[in-house]
Amino acid sequence: MNPASRFSRTWLALLATAALFVAGRLLGAEHEAAHAAAPAADAHGHGHAAASVGVFSLKQIAHSYLTAYMFCLSLCVGSLFLSLAHHLFDAGWSASIRRVTDTVASLLFPWMVLLVLPIIGFAWAGQLYAWFNIDPAADHALDVKKVLFNKPTFTALVLLLISALGWIANTIRNWSIAQDKDGAAHWTSKSRKLAAGGIFAFAFFTTLICFYLMKSLQHQFFSTMYGVYYFAGSVWVTLITLYLLTFWLGQPGRPLEKVYFKRQQQDLGVLFFAFTVFYAYIHFSQYFLIWNAAIPEETFWYVLREKGSWKWVGMTILFGHFFVPFLLLLNQDIKRNLAVMIPVGAWAWLMHYIDMTYNVMPVIHPDGLQLTFWDPLFWFGMAGLIGFLFWRKYQTAAPYPLKDPRLKEAVTHHEVPAPGAAAAH
Amino acid sequence: MSASPLKPHALLAEFGTAADIFEAAILCRDAGFSKWDVHTPFPIHGMDEAMGLRKSPVGWFTFCGGMTGFSAGMTMIWYMNKFDYPLVVGGKPLFTPLYAFPVSYEMTILLSAFGTLFGMFFLNRLPKLYNPLFKNERFKKATDDRFFIVIEAADPKFSLEATRAFLTEKCHATAVEIVED
Repeated sequence: MNPASRFSRTWLALLATAALFVAGRLLGAEHEAAHAAAPAADAHGHGHAAASVGVFSLKQIAHSYLTAYMFCLSLCVGSLFLSLAHHLFDAGWSASIRRVTDTVASLLFPWMVLLVLPIIGFAWAGQLYAWFNIDPAADHALDVKKVLFNKPTFTALVLLLISALGWIANTIRNWSIAQDKDGAAHWTSKSRKLAAGGIFAFAFFTTLICFYLMKSLQHQFFSTMYGVYYFAGSVWVTLITLYLLTFWLGQPGRPLEKVYFKRQQQDLGVLFFAFTVFYAYIHFSQYFLIWNAAIPEETFWYVLREKGSWKWVGMTILFGHFFVPFLLLLNQDIKRNLAVMIPVGAWAWLMHYIDMTYNVMPVIHPDGLQLTFWDPLFWFGMAGLIGFLFWRKYQTAAPYPLKDPRLKEAVTHHEVPAPGAAAAH
Repeated sequence: MSASPLKPHALLAEFGTAADIFEAAILCRDAGFSKWDVHTPFPIHGMDEAMGLRKSPVGWFTFCGGMTGFSAGMTMIWYMNKFDYPLVVGGKPLFTPLYAFPVSYEMTILLSAFGTLFGMFFLNRLPKLYNPLFKNERFKKATDDRFFIVIEAADPKFSLEATRAFLTEKCHATAVEIVED
């Protein structure tokens, strides 16, 4: 099949899925309208506003900003994970693309710390987290969590934890740049030691950051899967972004030309596929355990997300985040087929954004998905800013770790001459 | 014992290094042989491309096995819990894909693995109880420190003299001998 028709067929499959859910959403809306006469009796009133908020309200702006921030934070923590994993596994193949992940991760400090300031501002203004406005004495769910969920601890820890991850990322990047100059192997062993502790810090800090910024929107919720759920989606979207970015950087005349091969492309594709499955496994586990236990303190979170069109957003995540990319990428060779991977990349960005929306927005729009112009504005604005900052920083150092001891492994590959070509030598 | 001389089954060419056999495999591929194989003590990266092997169709057996497993798991639970003997457990619906999923998922993995294993057996015509190579003394070193190319006499391009010359002179085999049937 020629690439052009494969390309259009992939788009067609993705669009058909999208159309299906738009149709479903419309049908769902009608269904809702029919039941609108009966007042929704929500005796629990678990942490969400009674009615939707206005487009120009601070609440809407705060939540749209938070959604965009969580998306961009995903790219940074996902990259940090890949850099740490590279050192932990003493990997060879990823040496040539490591400067890219190092650089994206290093944006955690200072940029992601600066970008989180408006969120802290919105929180103190009482526009984001309901628990900021509640007296713990009057709310048992908050009272038992007040060790972590109090204003000073929230503010200090959010700033501190993102800075700490940023410190790890910048240190690893700086050591790698120092190695560019002297080629000494001890930079690599130092990075490995930092990664060994860093991976624990990464797991705890990322979990706490997303507990604070996203999960505490409904502070009554319990889920120990929540951190790993955010992590799985983050690495997923990071991998496809990295796949497309390094492919572009690896083209003739671009910075990674000499170190980017089929092998890097295939391995990134395979990892993306693996995280497609891992994300589904994690998200299903969270849902299934809550569904099976049926404890109100946990189920209210999903009950809210099965009302109105949120049900269809959930279905979109189930099929669009898992089944569609899973079935599309099953074949080994597809992972190097750009006609499939470019649409899948755009799709993955959309899916991860929808996933973040699914976590944030039901709190202020309990009746169903309601997009405002703020959403694309903050999303593309912040992603554009991150992209610009990445590009500016990426050019301040060599495009790949020039004297990394593993670089030789990354660029040693087996190119077999095509039939007939061998006769020439 | 028949009076006629033993029929040659194949030509066995020995090589000393992985690099040598890699080059030789490319030459055999380009010479257009079809019934031949490479035997090495360890896997050599890129050998499948050097031999010009097609992508294995075994993935389709895996896929079909997986699909069968998934639908069998779902159907089984639907049949047992909702159809044959309806039983309310923990106030849950009689059937929902939700609680049927973990079992169906395990069934998917199980039957995918069966599909892979038995698909591979089928494609390789296994199990096969006898191969003339087993009698060859030199071939035993394929599990130790020697690398072998075997070109079968059944290959349409096979000719005892020309193929022997090709393996010695062009491929630089360290030894070439006839494997008898």
